Amino acid sequence: MRLPRFDYLGPDTLDAALELLATHKEEAKILAGGTDLVVRMKKGLLKPKVLISLKALNELSYIKEDGKEIKIGARTPLADIIASDLIQTQANALAQACEKVGAITLQHYRGTIGGNILQDNRCFHYNQSSFHRSGRQPCHKDGGKICYARDEADRCNSTCQSDGATALMALGAKLTLASKGSARTVNLEDFYTSDGIMPFAMESHELLKEITIPLTGAKSAYHRLAYRSAIDYPVVCAGVLLKPSDTKKEEIDDVRIVVGAMSRSPLFLAQASSSLKGKKLSDIDAFKTAADTAMNSASAFAVHNVGATLAYRCEMVAQMVFRALKEAAQAADR
Amino acid sequence: MEKIKITLTINDKLREVNVAPNDTLLEVLREKFDLTGSKESCGEGVCGSCTIQMDGKPVRSCLTLALEADGCTIKTVEGLANGDQLSDLQESFINHGAVQCGFCTPGMLISADALLQNNPKPDEKTVRKALAGNICRCTGYAKIVDAVCHAGSPDNQCPDCKTGQ
Repeated sequence: MRLPRFDYLGPDTLDAALELLATHKEEAKILAGGTDLVVRMKKGLLKPKVLISLKALNELSYIKEDGKEIKIGARTPLADIIASDLIQTQANALAQACEKVGAITLQHYRGTIGGNILQDNRCFHYNQSSFHRSGRQPCHKDGGKICYARDEADRCNSTCQSDGATALMALGAKLTLASKGSARTVNLEDFYTSDGIMPFAMESHELLKEITIPLTGAKSAYHRLAYRSAIDYPVVCAGVLLKPSDTKKEEIDDVRIVVGAMSRSPLFLAQASSSLKGKKLSDIDAFKTAADTAMNSASAFAVHNVGATLAYRCEMVAQMVFRALKEAAQAADR
Repeated sequence: MEKIKITLTINDKLREVNVAPNDTLLEVLREKFDLTGSKESCGEGVCGSCTIQMDGKPVRSCLTLALEADGCTIKTVEGLANGDQLSDLQESFINHGAVQCGFCTPGMLISADALLQNNPKPDEKTVRKALAGNICRCTGYAKIVDAVCHAGSPDNQCPDCKTGQ
């Protein structure tokens, strides 16, 4: 498959990149690893006039901590995150999530954490060749007014299948978005628009610069379900953060349950999360109840557009949440 | 569209070439340098048949822009053998009958070669994980995995082949 034509710009510094982005705005796309962007361009889903490559910007590739937070540069390869002791001990869900992205030797050295968060939402009616799509009316995301995933839907129902974003939302991560002359920090939970056409609340002149994870001493875990581990996106995934109480041993202080691949963004499920407050770390029945609550809450959002049948995916939400809770509780108990 | 000059070290030889921004590394290797060992199959990063090593790490050349590879060291399947002398890994593939139609083989060899450089004696699980991104539609994975395991440790007893005997 040939790529459509575009101009390639390779700035040497972050400031130069932001300057170029401010000039070209929506005509430009940022190229990091290219494992999502290039595929979309090949399928004719995206035709940017300009690609701004982050190849020379090694300043955006780092993992560090300052006692309060872990800071990860947006261009850090997934392989570096998987191998990081800091991430494994303090934010294990993220290491587990990155390890499940694509195939071990191939995507990990090209794929970046920023690209993983900003991978476009997917839908099996939309992510098809241009030939396939040319045979029928365009859907919302393709510039039309139809949704093939849900009848009569007035907007795009494409699904966010990012492993990294689900884990990061459970970890309570923040994103730093830089633009020419300024920067802002936004909670990952507030980063989504609930519109599948443009799922991210980010301007065309902004660039994802840094991901910040608070150091809380809590334990986290990530579980996902996919057909073939090496090449498929998750059909259901769950990230969990579990903070044991400082004063009472074996008691849960706070929990964050996030379910991914079920909606236009990862879903933070407040009701299921708060049901575990004050429960014992060994209370398996409470985990089961919370997992069922999570399933009921998440099911309301899902449409049949990423592979497995909807009923199966909904049931599996409970499984993924339960497994993640159990693993996090075991880690906290040690 | 203006062509841009890039420098690549391909299989230990320094090469210069003019490429367009929308040329992928795979297209440049196949069409400009006639290195047709690397194959295009799915063209969208799923199958692994276009795998090459960029600075020692296996990457999908169909998803890598040629311009992104500027200044990098590239190793393709043509770079594995030393003249007519096949590498241990290639010999092992032959001895184990690890090739059926052969279309996935260049990608398999390159992924396996990258693994063996870091881990000369991998166990079966490690090999399967390292090759997970390379798809064989003849589905002959068992012999490929045997071949890679054995290439790393030719002294081991291997009932399936004559290497080392």
